[in-house]
Amino acid sequence: MIHLMIFLPLLGALLLLVTPRTWREEVAGFFAALTLGLGLWLWRDGGAALYSAPWVPALGATYSVELAGPSLALALVTALMTLVAVIYAARRIENPGTMLALVLAMESALLGIFAARDLVLFYVFFEAALLPSLLMLAIYGGPERMRALVKFAAYTLLGSLLMLLSIIGVRYFGGSPTFALRDLAANPVEGVTQTWLYLGFLAAMAVKLPLWPLHAWLPDFHEQNHASGIPDLMGTLYKVGGYGLFAFALPLFPDASLELRPVLMALAAFTALYGAWIAFRQTNWKRLLAYAGLSHMGIVGLGMFSLNETATVGALYLLAFQNVYTGALFLGVGMLQERIGSVDTRVGGVMTQAGALSGLTMALWFASIAVPGLAGFIGEFSVLLGAYQVSPWLAFIAGLSTIAAAAYALTAFQTTFWQGRPLGSVRVADLEQTEWLVLGIPLAVAILFGVYSAPALNLIQPAVRGVLSALGGQ
Amino acid sequence: MLQAPDIALAPLLPILLVLAGAVSSTVLGFHLPRRTLTFINLALLVLSGIAMGLLWSGPGEVPATAFGGGLQADNAAVLLGLTIVVGSVMTLLVSLDTAYRARVSFPEFDAMLMYAITGTLLIAFSGDLIVMLIGLEIMSLASYVLATLQDSRRAEESGLKYFLLGSAGSAVLIYGLALVYGATGSLGYAGIAEATSGLTPGNLGLLVGGALLLLAGFGFKVALAPFHQWTPDVYSGAPTSVSLFLSTVVKVAAFAGMLRVFGGALQNAPFWADALQILIAATLIIGNAASLFQTNFKRMLAYSAVAHTGFVAMTLLGTPGLGGAALGYYLLIYTLMTAAALAVVAALQRSEAGMEISDLRGLYYRHPGYAIALAVCLASLAGLPPFAGFFGKYLAFQAAFQNGYVWLSILAVLASVAALVYYLRPAMLMFMPDRTPAREYPHGQRPATNLTVALGVAGITVLGLLPNLWYGWVADPAIWELLAGR
Repeated sequence: MIHLMIFLPLLGALLLLVTPRTWREEVAGFFAALTLGLGLWLWRDGGAALYSAPWVPALGATYSVELAGPSLALALVTALMTLVAVIYAARRIENPGTMLALVLAMESALLGIFAARDLVLFYVFFEAALLPSLLMLAIYGGPERMRALVKFAAYTLLGSLLMLLSIIGVRYFGGSPTFALRDLAANPVEGVTQTWLYLGFLAAMAVKLPLWPLHAWLPDFHEQNHASGIPDLMGTLYKVGGYGLFAFALPLFPDASLELRPVLMALAAFTALYGAWIAFRQTNWKRLLAYAGLSHMGIVGLGMFSLNETATVGALYLLAFQNVYTGALFLGVGMLQERIGSVDTRVGGVMTQAGALSGLTMALWFASIAVPGLAGFIGEFSVLLGAYQVSPWLAFIAGLSTIAAAAYALTAFQTTFWQGRPLGSVRVADLEQTEWLVLGIPLAVAILFGVYSAPALNLIQPAVRGVLSALGGQ
Repeated sequence: MLQAPDIALAPLLPILLVLAGAVSSTVLGFHLPRRTLTFINLALLVLSGIAMGLLWSGPGEVPATAFGGGLQADNAAVLLGLTIVVGSVMTLLVSLDTAYRARVSFPEFDAMLMYAITGTLLIAFSGDLIVMLIGLEIMSLASYVLATLQDSRRAEESGLKYFLLGSAGSAVLIYGLALVYGATGSLGYAGIAEATSGLTPGNLGLLVGGALLLLAGFGFKVALAPFHQWTPDVYSGAPTSVSLFLSTVVKVAAFAGMLRVFGGALQNAPFWADALQILIAATLIIGNAASLFQTNFKRMLAYSAVAHTGFVAMTLLGTPGLGGAALGYYLLIYTLMTAAALAVVAALQRSEAGMEISDLRGLYYRHPGYAIALAVCLASLAGLPPFAGFFGKYLAFQAAFQNGYVWLSILAVLASVAALVYYLRPAMLMFMPDRTPAREYPHGQRPATNLTVALGVAGITVLGLLPNLWYGWVADPAIWELLAGR
């Protein structure tokens, strides 16, 4: 079942290549929905247990996968948002076969990242997700895409190859028989070697978190991607740094995590504030969303690095659900662009003609800036609450970013959706047909998990407790 | 009293089959068209591959030898030999479609190619320095001719450069060989390995000098910086099918020789590893940095071949067991991906100068099959999973890292990032929509090239997803710990 869930989207992507043009949207939608259905089924059964088989015995690489706890939560969000992306792509993009195939291929790789319980397998999925993401940028990107492409790929590969050296080192110095997480955790590396290996691992995760100063690829990546926002949505899902830290770095490098905690928390808090600050100055919705995402990721990082249970739970919660509303906001920007031909934040007066689009966008922004009652609040509040117990000042600095978030979000919202519509500008159509679903489903999820967080917390909390108790606990 | 020479046919058979192809191409060339000869040669290569497969010795079996150990058909020879056969078959297939346009479609082309392959196999099967040298010279001489064979100024320049620098390299190599013989009193790998342990200080100095000269000589052949200068000019000046041959088969053979000499005969000799480490670092930096600035795609692939020499040579720094296995895996993958990429170039180029990188823009919309295949090859060359190039790179890093060369591994990581940039640019250009007229050669049926490309792409995809299919064969450390024979 779990293997089916991981590879079903890839199968769908390959089938799309031979599907007649008129049926491609339906086939892609079917595979995306089926994957989500499988995920929900797994959730009902309480997740998929660890499955392990030798992959390259001579190397010690195994095919170990498990979907439970936080990885299941993230996989479900990925499957949901891929379905939303497919629905929107079917409507927005002319002849979307290639785009749909890439989206589905990327979903496979992302699900693999969350399911992998073997470092080499994790690395393979981690890099495999890069290819569709690059291709989407190359095929559908803007005029400056080559620069964005090279930047994005070079940052990612620099980080991940350093991680590869760490992966080699973790097994070699620990003396584990395989790369399976279980075996590696049973044969830990001690002392200063562990710190160096953690730094190598951190390089990849910091690029993909992203953490200042390794974030420079992010704004260009989002700005140059296709105006519909679908590749941006997939790119948001690809920000798996926080998850990688939780699933691999904490169990494998406990001492180093503790040792570097102050530095990393400070970097994360700074990232949160820095992202929010820069976002305030943006006049391009996509760049603004990119920096807003960076700011959120700073908070995720703060929670993850704090090694405090409340904060870590909050970080994973935030990581999962910011995918929902940030992704939906990118699609909302896509809809705005389709109507007014621009992603500028100073358009003015969209609200007067497209009430539903503006209203749903505003509600999603409320989720993003952590208004209570929406999913973003629970995550950010838990992170700050937990981080405060570790380092009050850093929590305070990161907390400032939530104030700044309200400022940048509402300012941009005001200049786009309120104020007067310029004279002589085209009429803005309101949401039509499936567009309601594209913004409505994520908003419904954000509200549901904002008022009733127990199902998600039940997935996340036990796993966090398990990992942190192995660390000596807080 | 004359002793009967120790001649065994079985270990000689793979080489003799290829030699038969060379001789028959020379003789029958007067009577048969070139394509017929090519098919004969392809069949002989496949037979030679099968003969090699039969030489595989299971656990406990003693590998076949001939000429008192001068020729040894151990598993290392079989694995490297099979890699050579794969590269050679791909070269011949590509030449079926492109040799005519390159104006090299005459029997001598096949004859020279088969002579060169004979030499490469001799190196892989060599058991002493003289056999290795003879193989190396046969291979080199035939390659000089191949590079010059096309009647054009570029090819002549390429061939002459190759000849002058290559023969200088050979001279250095022979001098090194003489010094090693002087130090150890033996030409057989096993004898040298035995003698290196108990040398007088004077002889040790000779050995170190000889080893360094050998390193320089091999550096010429595999294109290690600073001995790489000829590579880009020769690869980009020669006809593309010849470049394909030079950058895959010839390089594999040169690495086979290096493995035999340094991993086998001189494995206990001091100092060469330190020198090799510096050469590799220089190669990684120069090869990758120079590739970044190329505008011609074929020339970029030539520089990338230099860069890959750096990655492959990292495996020689590993322990014999781990490093040999990594080398065995990497060389096959390297052959598949480079050959497939150059096959696409050969199919689409307008002239033998290859194409400009900017000409690749929008290729996906004109030739989707070739574009996807080329993108897969480039992704694999860049070391991105799920393609096999990733495991090659991983194994090379692992071999060097676990033997204590941590800084070199980190340098290799940085070099790989540069490599990604120059592979990514053409790969992504192909997918960018383009409205200008096509700049590639659109005519003609190319079934054999398509087969080659499909073979290469299928190989690197399957071996990337299931590396064990090949790594399972090469992984046994026992194969690589007895390179010198016994």
